[in-house]
Amino acid sequence: MVNYKFWWGAALILWCGILTGVQGVGRPKGVSLEKASFYVGTEFKCLSNGKTIPMEHVNDDYCDCEDGSDEPGTSACSNGLFYCENKPYKGTYIMSSRVNDGICDCCDGSDEYDGTISCENTCEKLFAEIRAQQEAFRKKQEEGYKVKLEYIQQGHRVKEEKRARLSELVKNKAALVEELDNLRAVKDEAEVPEKEAKDKHEEAWKAIKAERQKQRDAIAAAQAFAKLDSNQDNVVDFPELMKHKEFDIDSDGTVSEDEAREYLEDSEQTDLATFTEKIWPNIKEIFKLKNPEEVKEGEKSETAEDIHVEDGPPSPEVTDEQEAATPLDVSTDPDAITEGVADTAIPDEDRDKYYDEDDEDEEEDDYPGDDDEDDDDKVDVNEQQEKHKPEDEEEKMPEYSEETKLLIQAADEARKHYDEADEKVKDIEKEITGIEKYLEMDLGPQEEFSALKGQCFEFTDREYTYKFCPFDKTSQKPKGGGIETNLGTWGHWYGPEEDKYDSQKYENGQGCWNGPNRSCHVNFHCGAENILTGASEPSRCEYQFDFTTPARCSEPEPLPTHQVHEEL
Amino acid sequence: MSKTMLFRIQTLSWTMRGFCLLLAVLFCTCLGVHRENFRTCDQSGFCKRHRNMQPGSSDYVVQASSLRLSKTSLMVDVLNTKNNVRFLLQVYGLQHGIFRVKLVEAEPIRQRYEIPIGVTLVAEPEQAELVYHGDSNGQLKFSLGDNQMLINSNPLRLDFLINNEPVSSVNAQGLLKFEHTREKRAAKEEEAGEGAEDEVGAENEEEKPSADVDDEGMWEETFKGFSDSKPNGPTSVGVDIAFPGFRYVYGIPEHADSFALKTTKSTDPYRMYNLDVFEYELYNPMALYGHIPFMVAHNDKHTVGVFFQNAAEGWIDIQSNIADKSVFSNLADFVTGNNDVPQTDTHWFFEDGIIDVFVLLGPSPKDVFKQYASLTGNTPLPPLWAIAYHQCRWNYNDQDDVRTVDQTMDKFDIPFDVIWLDIEHTDGKKYFTWDGSRFGDSVEMLRNLSSKGRKMVTIVDPHLKRDDNYEKYTDARSQGLLVKNKDGNDFDGWCWPGSSSWPDFLEPKVRKWWADQFSLEKYQGSANNLYVWNDMNEPSVFNSPEITFPKDVRHLSGVENREVHNIYGMLVHQATWDGLLKRSNYKERPFVLTRAFFAGSQRSGAVWTGDNMGEWSHLKMTVPMMLSLNLAGIHFSGADIGGFFKNPDSELIARWYQAAIFQPFFRAHAHIDTKRREPYLLPEEHMIVARDAIKKRYSYLPYWYQLFYESETTGMPPMRSLWMEFPSEANIFEKDDEFMTGNAILVKPVTEESQTSISVYFPGKDVVWYDIDSYESYSGQQEKIVQAPVSKLPAFQKGGTIVPRKMRGRRSASLTYNDPITLVVCLDKYGNADGQVYLDDYHSYEYRHGSYALTHLSFHNFKLENNILHIGKDFTTKEWVERIIVVGVNTEPKNIHLIDADHNKMDLGNRYDTQTKVLTIRKPGVNVAQKWIINLH
Repeated sequence: MVNYKFWWGAALILWCGILTGVQGVGRPKGVSLEKASFYVGTEFKCLSNGKTIPMEHVNDDYCDCEDGSDEPGTSACSNGLFYCENKPYKGTYIMSSRVNDGICDCCDGSDEYDGTISCENTCEKLFAEIRAQQEAFRKKQEEGYKVKLEYIQQGHRVKEEKRARLSELVKNKAALVEELDNLRAVKDEAEVPEKEAKDKHEEAWKAIKAERQKQRDAIAAAQAFAKLDSNQDNVVDFPELMKHKEFDIDSDGTVSEDEAREYLEDSEQTDLATFTEKIWPNIKEIFKLKNPEEVKEGEKSETAEDIHVEDGPPSPEVTDEQEAATPLDVSTDPDAITEGVADTAIPDEDRDKYYDEDDEDEEEDDYPGDDDEDDDDKVDVNEQQEKHKPEDEEEKMPEYSEETKLLIQAADEARKHYDEADEKVKDIEKEITGIEKYLEMDLGPQEEFSALKGQCFEFTDREYTYKFCPFDKTSQKPKGGGIETNLGTWGHWYGPEEDKYDSQKYENGQGCWNGPNRSCHVNFHCGAENILTGASEPSRCEYQFDFTTPARCSEPEPLPTHQVHEEL
Repeated sequence: MSKTMLFRIQTLSWTMRGFCLLLAVLFCTCLGVHRENFRTCDQSGFCKRHRNMQPGSSDYVVQASSLRLSKTSLMVDVLNTKNNVRFLLQVYGLQHGIFRVKLVEAEPIRQRYEIPIGVTLVAEPEQAELVYHGDSNGQLKFSLGDNQMLINSNPLRLDFLINNEPVSSVNAQGLLKFEHTREKRAAKEEEAGEGAEDEVGAENEEEKPSADVDDEGMWEETFKGFSDSKPNGPTSVGVDIAFPGFRYVYGIPEHADSFALKTTKSTDPYRMYNLDVFEYELYNPMALYGHIPFMVAHNDKHTVGVFFQNAAEGWIDIQSNIADKSVFSNLADFVTGNNDVPQTDTHWFFEDGIIDVFVLLGPSPKDVFKQYASLTGNTPLPPLWAIAYHQCRWNYNDQDDVRTVDQTMDKFDIPFDVIWLDIEHTDGKKYFTWDGSRFGDSVEMLRNLSSKGRKMVTIVDPHLKRDDNYEKYTDARSQGLLVKNKDGNDFDGWCWPGSSSWPDFLEPKVRKWWADQFSLEKYQGSANNLYVWNDMNEPSVFNSPEITFPKDVRHLSGVENREVHNIYGMLVHQATWDGLLKRSNYKERPFVLTRAFFAGSQRSGAVWTGDNMGEWSHLKMTVPMMLSLNLAGIHFSGADIGGFFKNPDSELIARWYQAAIFQPFFRAHAHIDTKRREPYLLPEEHMIVARDAIKKRYSYLPYWYQLFYESETTGMPPMRSLWMEFPSEANIFEKDDEFMTGNAILVKPVTEESQTSISVYFPGKDVVWYDIDSYESYSGQQEKIVQAPVSKLPAFQKGGTIVPRKMRGRRSASLTYNDPITLVVCLDKYGNADGQVYLDDYHSYEYRHGSYALTHLSFHNFKLENNILHIGKDFTTKEWVERIIVVGVNTEPKNIHLIDADHNKMDLGNRYDTQTKVLTIRKPGVNVAQKWIINLH
């Protein structure tokens, strides 16, 4: 508690005696020397609006002027200012509300004069402290500034080097690009005959395969037809279909007439020809699911179901997932067969069995290591691969002709040259971009912050080690070890307009639970060395670093030739 | 701070990553209350049993022949004719116009819990003469002053009348149900009789073999996988209380709902069970942190109240009707003429305890407040600093942070008196300790604050970390002071520190032990300017059903928490209060903030409305919630300025500061995950609004202080609904978007975004209102649009009042003790006004020994007189009258002179504004605590 007892016990040295009291040489209390001239005579004009009041109303503890100028020495005007003389040092203003409030605000104690509290004159001590601080700072500044000059030199040098390198690169690039254009032309030229020859070969192969497929389909259809045609009258009608549960569209356990007709394309019956052409394509997936034997014989190469049968118990109770996946098990898409020359090594069906996903694009992503399934599964796949090799021979495209091979070889050569040149251009472009990015970077008005780039600084408190890599990122890591948390990557200079190099902002760090992404505000201070001096989290997930660096030291003022009373 | 699993997890996650991640998965992260954590009526056996009852003829009958009378009370036997269980009805006449009705079992197998004197009731209520007028046709008539009571014998019903006009009736609907004590073994056998009592409709009784019907929930209940063992079986009590002639009832806080209570026909009943509710919803009868079973009914003629003293979980159903003459056939005799009498029926039921109802017969609002205060006590006058501005946040990180806030507030010229530390200041959430790495020299920190007259409040929650190196815990454990689980071991629950135990505050010796912990020796690192905040005292137990004690937790006396749940939190802050009293040797006024509360909490704690949200709707809700709290005796109450959760924009924060100027407890607070929002951090436009608001609060502190003096001496709440000041204006009975602070200031806070004008209803026939800033006038009983740009809080001083202010803008309230006063005199249409000024030393109990000054100011016939109503023998003050602003002076006075206590005459200067008709009298300079007269000629 403050000395409130004083307030009560204090003698009634109330304002009365002091109100009109003037200080020193005839100016009213709380008035600075420069304003003293306004407070003479028998009348006082409020400083801002010229309203006139009798001089005895000045400092009478009642606020008459809207601007508070009539009560410089009391707390009567809430917007007034009181001038602390702070002799023998330089004076300063405090808010009027701090006059006679029981707290010593002026170091000379002149703001507390109503007897409630007695204030020591602490100006001497205060001044000494301030001098000491100024000295210390000045020393730091001097040392730092020396380093800064080196930084500046270094920064300029680096920049010059970069610029020189850039113009060299730009020149080189032009030559390389020209060369690249030439090589592209050569390559394009070689690729035309190559493509023609390859296309021709592949078209022919495609036709052969389509024919084979058609034949297989017809055999399968015939077998299915035979099985469905239970009365063997060479016609399949809806009562026959109704015997087969797989036609139960609504899964109510029975195949209704409507359901059967649906499959018969609304006809009463169908003969083998129509069946093969129209109906079989629609039912072959569901039908063979429940009748694996037929499928096995009919579609030898598309071995989904026989593998099921061989590898494990047939599962009439397959899981939902499997069921959902099965329609995709069969590559009825003719493109798949041609596209997937390499694919044929592993039947799609096998993969589906192991990669229990219904991925429509599976033909394309079937390279070992191309997905994130377990290694165990991959081993199995390879085994399957081995096992089915002989069967797949049939599907393999014959080799290109010797003539075609030569064309390919020539084109490969041209491509290689082109790619090598292209690589060079890309490298050079990359370097150019890097240098341009550097040159765009604001490294201070004199490149003095350039020296910090590429370095990192650490600060460790009770819990964490904080890391600051200027122009790169900020992070923290638990002291006892653990994962590093990104507190933000380089954003921009963040100081106020008049002093933008006062601080930096690092943004878009790791997200906070239920909060914003972490960010970090780095304050730069002048110091003889680069040191991260502090790190805190004043607001949740908003960090603050303090960093001293010579780069922030300005040139020390020349030492005053005589001892002056510094401003407090 | 806040509390729910949800954000609990966040905090923990901050420090205990692994654990938090686990929990984070367990609890969903959506915003909003987790309703499923809390029982609905359907999930509560006794609630269902009572709610399912239908109005009809009661089974309870008064045996009039057994009537025993004393001068101030009566006693009579009551029989439940369905099961022949006998009860004892006692009615006491009390001072100030209160009836106390007690119904207990005549021969209980086990004693039912009754709250001891000194817990809710401040003392044994003083009795008054109860006159018996005889028995006419089974109706026993009594009178108590101007009030009457009729006891109908068959069935039992009690009617209460003011000057022979019925205002309240107990058991008029026949919903009385008192589940008598019983043995479990015998339960089945009794079902035959008991079942009927417990069953809904009479028609079911015969048909249903009751054995299986009523078993449900009677001897065991489960909720969310937690089993409640219920060793005593069904123990609930309930009864209906009707208010014929009243359309509106108020009170029974704390609910985030409108001030006028709503019918609960299509919702759950209003629930009363102290709970830690995370991100509570608005306009909802769910229970919150504290409860006061006190309800007030008001109409244009009468104001009456009902206080149902019961510490167990309770529910209240409310229905507003036109009076039902079939149920009230007997009452109808009294209701003459008008057939459309509005009526409010209420139905109260509690899980345990007895029926102990106080009927407060007003008949005016101020009489009801006086009556309620006579029972549960007053709000003691807070020290001046406590009604000034409090700067809080979860958390100020360390001593540097505290110093920076302190200095920056000064730099921006924003006054404040108190800075707060939430749970992070402790060493591992062990209360009474400091985190040494961050608050290594708390005494130094406290001294720095003290040098500007400032205080600190630290949080001290009632859960003790179960840590063998934590002395408070080991001490309490070895002395056997801890609450037990149903098996008799120390109850072990999860709270901020992890595994925790709770002292049994029901025991006086435990409260004493707790109080002793606040001495400067025991609370190391504290100082005399450190005060205390009790949070989580419902209590909050993270891993327990409904986030609180299981109901079968045992207190040391053997009672279950079920019987006493709602008083636990109050006993925590009472003990803390006692500790602070002891610390100053009973000289200084303590300050304790509590989240949980009960009837009587006002005697030892300020209350805040818990973990609200930084949303406009929550700003709006502050008014009805605080009106309810003020009505129920919790005068020193407030809401977190800005809202606890979320990041409110700066406009909302600025508006919130404005609204809170005229709400009693003035504290900004924010969740640990929110952005910093100390007022100086707001964009300049809104920083200025917030600063002006805080400064305005400081300028009105003399008025606030006088209102709190009035609160302590009369029971009048400082924050009042419009009807409390204008009781016969029927169109304002529902109004809860405006309020009065004292009798002088009408406030219409702006609670919508981007609003620049607002419609204000000005109550009072022939009343003139003056804008407190511009002195523009508005006449009463009209709705008017007023300008309200973001810089402006619409607030108006009533013509006919005098309000004292201090305008010097000090850094803290403690620095204003000697400052001069400005009197704002707003004249009514007859040119009159009056008011009071109360002065004392602003911090000690000396005023209780008469060391204070109370003056009455009256302006009449162009003469302002200051008359001393009281001045302590040794009391002096330096406070003097700086200026007098007289508003509504139609002609400029030619001259003004002052006559002081010594009859000296002195001319005074003045300024008269012909436009606004405001006369400013310059510097009378007289002491406030002296007699003086100022004449205008």
